[in-house]
Amino acid sequence: MTRRRWLIHLVFRALAHRAGRTLLLLAVLAMASSLATALGIVSFSMGKRVAEEVRNYGANLVILPETARLDVGSGGLNFGVISEPAYLRQKEVEEALTKSALPGDRSSHLRGALRFRNSDLLVEGVNFGEIRRLFPWWQLRGRWPAANEAVMGSDLAARLRLKEGDMVELAGPKEPLRLRLSGIVSTGGEEDGLLFLELRSLQQALELEGELTQVRLLVTTEGESLTKRAAVLQRFLSKAKVTEVRQIARTSEGLLVKVKLLMALVTLVVLVSAGSSVTGTMSTTVLERSREIGLMKAMGGTRWELLRIFAAEAALLGLAGGVAGFFLGSGIAWFITKSVFTLSPEISPWFAGVSVGVSLFLALLGSLGPMIAVFRLDPVRSLRGE
Amino acid sequence: MQLVFKLIPQLIAWTVMVLLLLRGMPGRRGAVLISAVTGFSLGVAGYLLLSRLFPVTLPLGIIRSAVGGSFFLLWSVAVAALYRSTVRDFPLLRVERLVGTIYCAWGAPLLTGMVAGGIGASGLPRLDNSVLQLLAPLLLLLAGALLVLGARSAEQRLTSSLGVTPSAFLAALVALLLFSSSSSILLDLFAPLSMKVMKGTHDFVHQFMESILIPDHVFIRSAIWGYIGFLFGKEVGFWGGMVIWFTPALLIALAIRLEPLPSVAHIRQGAQRRRLLADAIRTKQYRLVIPALALVALAAAAYQSSFPNVEYWDPKPLAVTATPAGEIFIPRKGEVELEDGRLHKYLYKQGGKEVRFFVLLTPAGKLTVDLDACAICKPDGYGQSEGMVLCYYCKTLIPLDTVGKPGGCNPVPVPFTERGDGVHLDALTLVNSWSRTVQSTTSSKGGK
Amino acid sequence: MASTIIETAGLTRSYGDICALKPLELSVPEGEWLSVMGHSGSGKSTLLNLVGGLDRPTAGVLKVGGEDLLGRDEDGLARFRREFVGIIFQQHHLVPYLTALENVMLAQYFHSVPDEAEARFALERVGLGHRLKNRPGELSGGEQQRVCIARAIINSPKLLLGDEPTGNLDHKSTTMVLELLRELRAEERFTIIMVTHNQEVAAWGDRTIYLDDGVLVREERKTG
Repeated sequence: MTRRRWLIHLVFRALAHRAGRTLLLLAVLAMASSLATALGIVSFSMGKRVAEEVRNYGANLVILPETARLDVGSGGLNFGVISEPAYLRQKEVEEALTKSALPGDRSSHLRGALRFRNSDLLVEGVNFGEIRRLFPWWQLRGRWPAANEAVMGSDLAARLRLKEGDMVELAGPKEPLRLRLSGIVSTGGEEDGLLFLELRSLQQALELEGELTQVRLLVTTEGESLTKRAAVLQRFLSKAKVTEVRQIARTSEGLLVKVKLLMALVTLVVLVSAGSSVTGTMSTTVLERSREIGLMKAMGGTRWELLRIFAAEAALLGLAGGVAGFFLGSGIAWFITKSVFTLSPEISPWFAGVSVGVSLFLALLGSLGPMIAVFRLDPVRSLRGE
Repeated sequence: MQLVFKLIPQLIAWTVMVLLLLRGMPGRRGAVLISAVTGFSLGVAGYLLLSRLFPVTLPLGIIRSAVGGSFFLLWSVAVAALYRSTVRDFPLLRVERLVGTIYCAWGAPLLTGMVAGGIGASGLPRLDNSVLQLLAPLLLLLAGALLVLGARSAEQRLTSSLGVTPSAFLAALVALLLFSSSSSILLDLFAPLSMKVMKGTHDFVHQFMESILIPDHVFIRSAIWGYIGFLFGKEVGFWGGMVIWFTPALLIALAIRLEPLPSVAHIRQGAQRRRLLADAIRTKQYRLVIPALALVALAAAAYQSSFPNVEYWDPKPLAVTATPAGEIFIPRKGEVELEDGRLHKYLYKQGGKEVRFFVLLTPAGKLTVDLDACAICKPDGYGQSEGMVLCYYCKTLIPLDTVGKPGGCNPVPVPFTERGDGVHLDALTLVNSWSRTVQSTTSSKGGK
Repeated sequence: MASTIIETAGLTRSYGDICALKPLELSVPEGEWLSVMGHSGSGKSTLLNLVGGLDRPTAGVLKVGGEDLLGRDEDGLARFRREFVGIIFQQHHLVPYLTALENVMLAQYFHSVPDEAEARFALERVGLGHRLKNRPGELSGGEQQRVCIARAIINSPKLLLGDEPTGNLDHKSTTMVLELLRELRAEERFTIIMVTHNQEVAAWGDRTIYLDDGVLVREERKTG
């Protein structure tokens, strides 16, 4: 039998001898590391989810003309904006975007009113390609429009009793537009009350070539905050205002930060308390085993060899606790993410490393004091039973 | 001051090398010490002399080939060591028989010292002040000699059980040489090695594809292309380089592990038998320390090579736009001083394409406009250091005089017209040139 | 048999103000069985601990096997103990969670490498071949002490120290243990130093010294 295998054998025997205490220590280590793992998994999953959500909600920045007033997210018709029209120069915006070199995607919008059956109808000119990229959650019955076609919001279509395939004739300052409805869109938002058509044809119809009312941007926020990105862009735009969309992005970012902070705090508390309980248990063990330690020293074990035995014990406990903690933690994370946050946990084997690391660290750190006691123990006195 | 910090790792490596030499050749302390100091002085002097008389590439090339050659030697010794540890009656290698002779005690420190001295001298900066220029090598010499003495006293304090086998000794020496040479990007061997591996794989796969997989996409499902694409990646070069880099030291460690324990069956007293066995195991474990040290040094060398500790001038690209006629104009004087001899990077976006290019005034006094990419490597771009630009991908150095000439890893030049107010480029040509270059160097996926 | 294994000159050990061992001159020839007698607190255990390298003297010279133990640090003393000394205690001091065999192997582990066959042979030699796999709790006092003897001699020590090894044993077990020691000494030729306060046990030795209050007061050599 080699020395190493004997050492492991010895450690196992010692741990089995004090089964109750070993189980207690294992439980504490598994608990602590499982919590750390679970919190890690949850915050990782949330981070990923938030990034996804930011993408799903489309734009996170909006460029608006300086004088215009527009509340994003407040649905309904808002003729006030149109009665005091203010526009963005399409070219200026594009130049600014190139110069600021913001990473991300954008969509250009022009909103206006056209007459339909003797009443004003709110219409929006868009590039459908951009729409499909930026707003993938648009539910479309029918198909995306080709030339001389349009898409109508579902509320509006219901009100006007129109369905896909119907023709609409819109009157504006110039000659009337005849469009075929290729599909009906429903989003649950203000889009349901609008008619969407190709940006260029609306610009022509309203005689507003090269003008926009709004540009929505989907900027990836990797690392930098959205506010900073907005500020960068604002510098290049003198006649327009860059606003953050007060939609999900900001709130969920804030929420994520708060949740992460809370998790860090909880983890800290758990780790500290688990560490001190490890210290307590290990101290008792060492105290109880002082006679045995003295004996080993009397038999010719050096201080370092004794230290090695106890370090191996702690490491073994830490390892086992960490592995158990990983599975337990994954379970907890699964439960939390399913029941509280309604998202699926991103469990990767990398977290086993985190779990084992936390548990090993705790076990070794917690038994540091007791190990110093082992190191210092005087064989003569401990054998005499002092 | 900065110079001192730059040289510290090399001087430490030199100390450890002397320590190893002393430990590897016990009983010949005097010879080792004298020849080590002599070698170091010769190395420093030789480097300075050669770099004065010839272009600097000559002494650098000599050092590189010396270090590279020692690495080859290490490989053969490692294989031999492993073979011998499994096959008992293998005749001693000639090289190993030399270890322990008086020739080795004089020769090994001399050669090691020369290479180490050369590497140290190459790290000295060019100074304008002639007094300092003389003083710096002298200081280096002094430090080298003092460290030899330091290594001697350290070696005497080291536990006597730390034994060295000849192969492990060589492994650690070579590893330390590689480590100190990796501190300079001009001498580094790991980056060229991984580059070679990548190129080799690339060529092999290419030929394999062409001979077997014509016509394209007939036999192979698209998922497979993913794996084949991986073979072209930088990762293959890196990991392949790692394997070649670490294998010899690992083989030597394995050889030491596989060495049989002494036969103790004939000893009757149990305690004595066990003591002998335990001592043999301990000796073996101690012998593994030196190969472990070699592995650490090799890892440090690879790390230094991958994250070189040199500061490059690398400005953030400025975004530029083209006029409706498709012309990009960069003013001679404006936001940036175009003719200050430094690299100026620009970014042009058109549609989904982004083109990086730079404008530079060469030492010959001519402006040149080039892509921030070369015809061979992935477009990781360039950084500027003293008198050179460096390709971030393959770590090749390109002298400033040759920037603007096409070929190799030089930045791909772009046609432009220079007028009084600045530089005018054709956006379309730029974009096309970028697409052509980048397409051929990044996505070789799909064979042809 | 002429060489001395233990040589002391002015050996002193004091704990604070209390002097456990006054300057002591002692010389033990190799292979001797020395009994040390005295009341409790007379300094006999202190002497044993000093000789066994478990404790350090306050002053004086202590040479064991020709080497001055004062020159060794704590780990050096531990190495001395495992190479040179076997100790048998009054309380049996076996590791409770290891079997008899494993207790013996533990001594091998600290000395060099564990060797199960050799440990088994040592236990057979002390007559415990049938109790290899028993824990100390399952063994009688005499059996436990025999495990201790097997463990003490497993590393072929030059010096076997006994601190009242028979103190807790009945008469029959005492005789058995002492018989065993005598047999083993005949084979292995180690030196025995045994502390006891039992005149009868002391009589097994070649020589008996009497300590009182840390001073060697009397010396008796076995005659015939």
